[in-house]
Amino acid sequence: MDSDGSDHLKESPTPRYFGREKSRTRSDKAFSGSVVVAALSSLFILVAILFYLATSSWPALRKEGLSFITGSTWIGGLDDPSQQVFQIWPMLYGSFLNALLAIIFAVPISVLLAIFIVFIAPKKIARALTIVVDVLAAIPSGIIGIWGFLVFTPVAEGWARLIHQYLGSIPIFVNNQDQFTRSPFITAWVLGIMIVPIITVVAREVLAQTPQDLLDAARGLGGSLWGTVRMVALPHARGGIVGGVMLGLGRALGETVAIYFVLNLIFERVNYYRILDPEGGSVASMIIAKFGEATPEEIQALLGAGLVLFLLTLVVNLIANWIVARSARERLV
Amino acid sequence: MTILQEKPSEEVFTEPQYPWRKVNPSTSITNSIIVVLPISIFALSFFLTDLPGALLFIVIFLPVQILVAIFATIWGISKKRVGDAVLSVLSLVAFSFVIALMGSVLFSVFSRGLPAISLSFLTQNNTYISPTTELDYGGVGHALLGTLMVVAIGMIISVPLGIASAIYITDMKGRLAGFVRFMVQAMSGVPSIVAGLFILAAFILTDVSGFSALTGGLAYSILMLPTVARTSEEVLKLVPKELRDAAIALGSSRARVIMKIVLPTARTGILTAVILGVARVIGETAPLLLTTSNTNGTNLNPFVDAVSTIPVYIFQFLGSGYPTAINRSWGAAFVLLTTVAILFAIARIVERSTKKG
Repeated sequence: MDSDGSDHLKESPTPRYFGREKSRTRSDKAFSGSVVVAALSSLFILVAILFYLATSSWPALRKEGLSFITGSTWIGGLDDPSQQVFQIWPMLYGSFLNALLAIIFAVPISVLLAIFIVFIAPKKIARALTIVVDVLAAIPSGIIGIWGFLVFTPVAEGWARLIHQYLGSIPIFVNNQDQFTRSPFITAWVLGIMIVPIITVVAREVLAQTPQDLLDAARGLGGSLWGTVRMVALPHARGGIVGGVMLGLGRALGETVAIYFVLNLIFERVNYYRILDPEGGSVASMIIAKFGEATPEEIQALLGAGLVLFLLTLVVNLIANWIVARSARERLV
Repeated sequence: MTILQEKPSEEVFTEPQYPWRKVNPSTSITNSIIVVLPISIFALSFFLTDLPGALLFIVIFLPVQILVAIFATIWGISKKRVGDAVLSVLSLVAFSFVIALMGSVLFSVFSRGLPAISLSFLTQNNTYISPTTELDYGGVGHALLGTLMVVAIGMIISVPLGIASAIYITDMKGRLAGFVRFMVQAMSGVPSIVAGLFILAAFILTDVSGFSALTGGLAYSILMLPTVARTSEEVLKLVPKELRDAAIALGSSRARVIMKIVLPTARTGILTAVILGVARVIGETAPLLLTTSNTNGTNLNPFVDAVSTIPVYIFQFLGSGYPTAINRSWGAAFVLLTTVAILFAIARIVERSTKKG
């Protein structure tokens, strides 16, 4: 990224007028100083988030140790703080399960949609569909939450019953509770709907950047659409699509209120694979669910959960951006 | 590449078109069969059995549609286009699915939210209103004002910081430009609940401030900053270098070039950046639950006491579960969605007027 600046200088016929030359007035120095300080605000904020979450959750984290992440007990709200236990493994695992399922649902839809927009649809439909995807991306998560809770849940419950009826012998579709709402399955669909636009936007952009001469070459060899997509466009766009999926993963891990309404949070045990059972977890939703009646110690534990979530999404997002940036560079070569 | 090993196609391309868009004369009959056959089999099985439609769609319609498309392709075009047929069917299914989803979201917000909207709903607050009170009384007025305050505070903080980040990356090209851009990207991944927790830990638990619109605005500014910075960066890149060179040649200082030349030239684009930032955060519920709390009355003091906002209003009434309360939630959702739509419409109009000028 540093190369951006130096490239510009090489082309530039004018001297570097914003450089570190000596003839600068005091007001100029003050201005550029304040711009630098403001530009570094994102660094300050990220460090401050890390610092405040870590220090304020430290008592709870120190008491629980590693079992804060690996244990499955949550006892709060007692008068005696020494009896309280705060462990988030069911929530942490649930977050990953939801996000993974959401990606399994969303990726085929998004990639097919992007292929449709770039290679198949007539120009007008493609343009309209691009707007549709943007609109879907702009719908606030609170509205997806109320829709998922009141409109989508009954529909998806029907799907879940069907899957259970015909494929119930497969372990992941077992459900002995005769309740098919508030399950990881439905949660994952709601999350999937939120991340479809994220993945589609990235996939569409990278697919559209497939060099025209490669497409022409494939055409000249008598390649079909499917052959061209499979052997030219998708390999070319792979990095970008993976990056888009990681961005969607970050979003799915951080989603809070929509999950709070569509998932039954179970704190004491982990639902490892029965995705139709009305039992699941989510770190972000747990924070909302527990916050209202939390004791001071419990709030420390919730801040610790927030710290874990922050670090997780930070790592996922950095990897995503790295993959997207790298694939963008490869495309330029 | 296996594509090279295939025998040369026997088809002759008379015009420079994508081969998959080439229409063979015999395809018109095939097309009608592709369209009619799967639907009629699906309709027959739907009316003659009592199996649910979702099951029939997956088990009957989709396989039949794919098979028919494959046979039609072999018969009408070429064996090599079989993959195209399957790809087209599947991508059309994905297309319809996404259209249906978006239609369902928008339709339910409109059909269920619109009946709740009235002048009193938009202007009254929530004092003396219980979850079972009829919709004639009470409304989102206080929440609308609260959202306005929180978003305004978020803007006041994040817009200068975001624009400064963009100026640093594009105009000053300082040593840390790459680093700043990297940090902005990292920040765009911060989950909204974490922003709320941070403000809670830094301001509210430390007794610097209580729940207030100010703390909510601080949380919002964290979420807005990356959007504003990234969009402004794109906009500032479009300002012609000649303008800057000319200003420098006339002896302007760095500050004057940016304040009097670069920013005014890019002002509509920067307005777009701000609008996109607002649209990004205006529906966020989680950070506000932790930083503004909620109240039933109107609170116009942004620095003291809890304040209600539209997203939290939706959350509050949705959680109570009573039918009239849920209607209130839908009404508030309608207000929220309309606000976002208006913001995007403004952004689009601004963008268009810039392109013309």
